[in-house]
Amino acid sequence: MDVSQVLEEHKKKFKSVQVEKVIPLEFDLGLLAAFDVNMLDEEVLRKGGNNVNEYLKSISRDNAQLLMNQIMEQPIEATEEGVMAQLPVPETVLPREKPIPKEKPMTRWEKFAKLKGIKKQKQSRMVYDEETGEYRPRWGYKGANNTDQEPWLIELGGNDDPMEDQYAKRREEKKDRVAKNQRRQQRNVEEAAYKSTKKGQTGDDARNLRKQELQKKLAQSKFSTASMGKFDDKMKGEPKIKSGKRKHDPTVMDAKEEKMRSKDLLNRVNRASEAGKNIVNTRKAQKTLKKD
Amino acid sequence: MLRVTKPRNARSKRAMKEREAKVVENPKTAIFIRGSQTSQAVLDAMRDLYSLKRANAVNFNKKNAIHPFDDETTLEFFSRKNDTSLFAVALHSKKRPNNLILGRTFDHQVLDMIELGIEKIKTIKEFGTRTCGVGIKPLMIFNGEAFGQNEDLEKLKNVLLDFFHGETSEKISLEGLEYVISVTAGPQEANGNVGKIYFRTYLVNKKKSGVRQPRIELEEMGPSIDFALRRTRHASDEMWKQATRVPKELRVKKVKNISYDGMGDKMGRIHLGRQDLDKIQTRKVKALKNKRPSEDDGDDQFGSASQGSSKAANRKKLKEAITIDNV
Repeated sequence: MDVSQVLEEHKKKFKSVQVEKVIPLEFDLGLLAAFDVNMLDEEVLRKGGNNVNEYLKSISRDNAQLLMNQIMEQPIEATEEGVMAQLPVPETVLPREKPIPKEKPMTRWEKFAKLKGIKKQKQSRMVYDEETGEYRPRWGYKGANNTDQEPWLIELGGNDDPMEDQYAKRREEKKDRVAKNQRRQQRNVEEAAYKSTKKGQTGDDARNLRKQELQKKLAQSKFSTASMGKFDDKMKGEPKIKSGKRKHDPTVMDAKEEKMRSKDLLNRVNRASEAGKNIVNTRKAQKTLKKD
Repeated sequence: MLRVTKPRNARSKRAMKEREAKVVENPKTAIFIRGSQTSQAVLDAMRDLYSLKRANAVNFNKKNAIHPFDDETTLEFFSRKNDTSLFAVALHSKKRPNNLILGRTFDHQVLDMIELGIEKIKTIKEFGTRTCGVGIKPLMIFNGEAFGQNEDLEKLKNVLLDFFHGETSEKISLEGLEYVISVTAGPQEANGNVGKIYFRTYLVNKKKSGVRQPRIELEEMGPSIDFALRRTRHASDEMWKQATRVPKELRVKKVKNISYDGMGDKMGRIHLGRQDLDKIQTRKVKALKNKRPSEDDGDDQFGSASQGSSKAANRKKLKEAITIDNV
């Protein structure tokens, strides 16, 4: 008996993994997808009934087989989690979920550091404390930079007030430092937010914008008192609020003048309608209609 | 004003970070929304699709007065609230019975959506076979030439791929290939409309085949749905362009000087640099040998020069010799 015959016998025991197709399938292995553009048996599909399901199952099987064969051709390795096949990058263009993240704008310190060429250096978290002979964290709980409690002995300068509570003073100073840093953080955040808007490209105007808005709010609050802010205390450098008194035309006016005005108005409407422009403020018009 | 929301604690900070736009994105999550009027068929379809998509899906049990094709605001609100980018809406009306709307959002704005009518459905429960595990990636098969010809069907293909492909990974466990989603575009109707779309789900049974590749046998698992294509909304060009932009970090860099020929063989071009003529090995002739500058050497020129300059002169001589040789 020949070897090839033995192989042939062995092969006959199993069903084939080969599938014949007129047009070869397209694959996108990154998505585990196969695309079959071969002609379908329209007659079966049109007729309906149970044959449809049988037919769909048979073509799905063939295509699944081809897809599986294709996956098996990829580099395969055995890992602890099982036999893994390496997949290529997907080819089909699928949309993203969210836009590409923008680069974060630099903080004031980062900008300055870049200008001066200051580079961040890796620091150890623990520092040696010579007084106690122990290692302490650089900052944070029981940190080396914690000056609340120590040194317990405070040396006074010549001009310092000996009766003042120096411990309280020290605590206050630290609080001020922390608050100042927080203000700066807030400023960085605001400037970054302003930069991300369409208006602000530089971020330097963030302060101006805040000022303007504050003034606007102030004006509003004044306007909402019964006396329209007439008796409110004035602040230093407070801008003058323009009073919104409307001027009305007299009910009776010169006939010539009235004629002129009506003519002007009609002319304007005519010109605009000829040019195909919409001169009616539709938003406003809708509002008035709704009110009525 | 430029109000910036600041996380109040570490947990919410982490949650906010998770929701931020990323270069490599999280797998897309889907919301399954029930409209105010639904039918059993469309609810069955929703439940089964949800069970296929589970782990990356949010199911809404309560009814919502929602009509995606007329008003998108509710949908966009849900998308933002739940941080999802895929949606399926179940609706039922006299005009459009058993209506299922599949779609996706980009940046919480509706990108595109497709309305499908359910004509026939057999659920997972009705098949009663064993089911696949949760969060398993399916094999996807699209049959029919119509998927490449009809714009709406092409969009449907893209939406379904996006809906079910799950997390993109470089590796896949071969044992994890458990089920197949097969979508077939049926023949065109007599009036030129898109024909039925057959959505079938099968379990994969791998049999021995005597060769490396296993023999695949399929067993229908459900849901098995016959769809009719209804309204579609495609993405605007501008939005699609934005949504398909590839981040700089993920763009494949062009490799210089390496090419592949038709047979897939790798070809490289190497630059050797400029050849140094001074170090080149030429013919060894006695006359060209470096003479030691000594006093009995009669040459005045060499005798007066220092050692270094005599070497230079020799080199000059050597070069002349080379040129003579070449001639």
